Amino acid sequence: MNAAGTAGDGGNQRRIRVVVVDDHAIFRSGLKADLDSRIDIVGEAGSVEEALRVIAEQRPEVVLLDVHLPGGLGGGGREVISKSAHMLGSTSFLALSVSDAAEDVVAVIRAGARGYVTKTISGPGISDAVIRVADGDAVFSPRLAGFVLDAFGTSPSDIADDELDRLSARELEVMRLIARGYSYKEVAKELFISIKTVETHVSAVLRKLQLSSRHELTKWAAERRLL
Amino acid sequence: MTSPAQRPPLFRSGDRMIAGVCSGLAAHLGWPVKYLRIGMVLASFAGGAGLMFYAWLWVLVPTADEGARRLASSIGPAVSASLPAPNAPLSAGGSPSARPAVPWFSGRRFQYGKELLLGAGLIFVAGILIARQLGVDLPLGTLIPAAAILGGAAIAWMQLDETRRAGLVDKTKADQAGGWVRLAAGLALVVAGVLVMVSGSGSWEQTWLALLASVAVLGGVVLVLLPWGLKFWRDLETERAGRVRETERAEIAAHLHDSVLQTLALIQRRASSEQDVVRLARAQERELRGWLYRDQAAGSGQLADRIKAVAAEVEDTHGHMVDVVSVGDTVMGERHEALVQAAREAMLNAARHGGGTVSVYLETSDAGSEIFVKDRGPGFDPEAVPKDRLGVRESIIGRMKRHGGTAAISSGPSGTEVRLSLPAAGPDERNGEGRP
Repeated sequence: MNAAGTAGDGGNQRRIRVVVVDDHAIFRSGLKADLDSRIDIVGEAGSVEEALRVIAEQRPEVVLLDVHLPGGLGGGGREVISKSAHMLGSTSFLALSVSDAAEDVVAVIRAGARGYVTKTISGPGISDAVIRVADGDAVFSPRLAGFVLDAFGTSPSDIADDELDRLSARELEVMRLIARGYSYKEVAKELFISIKTVETHVSAVLRKLQLSSRHELTKWAAERRLL
Repeated sequence: MTSPAQRPPLFRSGDRMIAGVCSGLAAHLGWPVKYLRIGMVLASFAGGAGLMFYAWLWVLVPTADEGARRLASSIGPAVSASLPAPNAPLSAGGSPSARPAVPWFSGRRFQYGKELLLGAGLIFVAGILIARQLGVDLPLGTLIPAAAILGGAAIAWMQLDETRRAGLVDKTKADQAGGWVRLAAGLALVVAGVLVMVSGSGSWEQTWLALLASVAVLGGVVLVLLPWGLKFWRDLETERAGRVRETERAEIAAHLHDSVLQTLALIQRRASSEQDVVRLARAQERELRGWLYRDQAAGSGQLADRIKAVAAEVEDTHGHMVDVVSVGDTVMGERHEALVQAAREAMLNAARHGGGTVSVYLETSDAGSEIFVKDRGPGFDPEAVPKDRLGVRESIIGRMKRHGGTAAISSGPSGTEVRLSLPAAGPDERNGEGRP
């Protein structure tokens, strides 16, 4: 659907190769219609096995991945990511979900996804998110930011703490603003920093979320049956 | 069982001396209980006929609530030991003292039942001994085996726990009266057969041989019937599991019907109005989400729940999406109610004047609670709000100040944000709470 618009794109923009993984065909076609011309959909899949095959064949830059998928061992999107772990260097995963249950979201993030958005996101919103992920940045929805604040606590770190276990004061500020519904641009304006700096902070938070074995985080996750 | 239609069904009554047989029978026949009881006692002296009859009815006639349960089970799944017995007033007859329904062979009655049975047995034995003393010739050779068989049957029956018994009874009465007739006939045949065998044979040696043969035959029968019995048992288990599943499925189906299907029907009818469709879809999504993921442990008196409920209300009235993100939570207090009301006002303003999704962020920590309500509307100048507009000035800023909190509004071309802050309970309130 969007393939027709490539010629008029000015040529200076690279097109991002994307695979869409979702078990609902209606949602896939809706998503294809929504994604703008900077994005090239090179494959689709509706189950864990199909997704693994298509991703291995196409080696896309970004995989738009539904959290809930049939097939495989029942692990859904998380299983797709962990079985494609060897490609995480070249392929980024952006999780999509109708569910905003913490267990679903945090599980895919900890498996290696670069971000999470809800399926009610707007067309331009999802395109921006794909491009951001393709550039190596992280995409946080307000709700994911809320989960992070919930898990890491809302007080800034002391110097004594392991750096993975707490968010810095700046990271907390960024997370708070995202949870309040600010876009990266608005966060940058509010904090008088550049968008690039915002992206750095968000990526750092994502890394902490993925790597931290902090007691509170594991406890938080265990309470929600995430581990 | 073959009573005319007008008669109350034959149940053992809750108003009882021993097992409620007499009063049940009285209600069934429409005779006074007293005469029936006297008659039963008198009949007992006629070779124990009354006792036998009583025991027979005790075993075969269900209690009122058990009967009710059976009636219910023929309509729907019977999970209701506590089901109010609709037949109780009927079967209790003249006695309106509707006691709380006691399940068949329930623990409390069971205790007394055992002792009563034992007592009855002892009285029976004593009666025989006295009769022998008085020189009456009793057919001991018949009475002792009969008593043994009855006792054995009673013990075997008691061993089953209540649910199994109910299950067995359910099964045996699968074809109602026919099942009971067969069971009774079989029991009577066995008893009669053994009696004839024991009393008919002259010597104990022959009896011994006959007993051996019987045991062999019984063993054979058990061998043959065992697979059938096991299958029967498994069927029973499967049926019970199936019934549980069926109940769950019915609950889910009922819920989906009441909510999702209704909404889908509404959406089809209103397909032309995009705003209506979005609103319906959002409301349904929220409701379904609440049903699927609701935290059973969390009470409804939590701040986050209240904020979410208010957001849902605003979303319903204005058709604007209101997204709530909450971090931390606290129990609602009086001051929190003011915070909720101020937040509601802010959400209403955002939905009315702003555009797009309204973002609500609630953060609760030991220091207090903060709420941020952000929209993406054209913005306005808070200083330029006319004095007579009470919405912002009174409902938000004034209300927060009165309860020891603060409210700030920042507005720009990319949207408006209302920040509400309520510090944790100050010393005044702590004192207030400390008073009994």
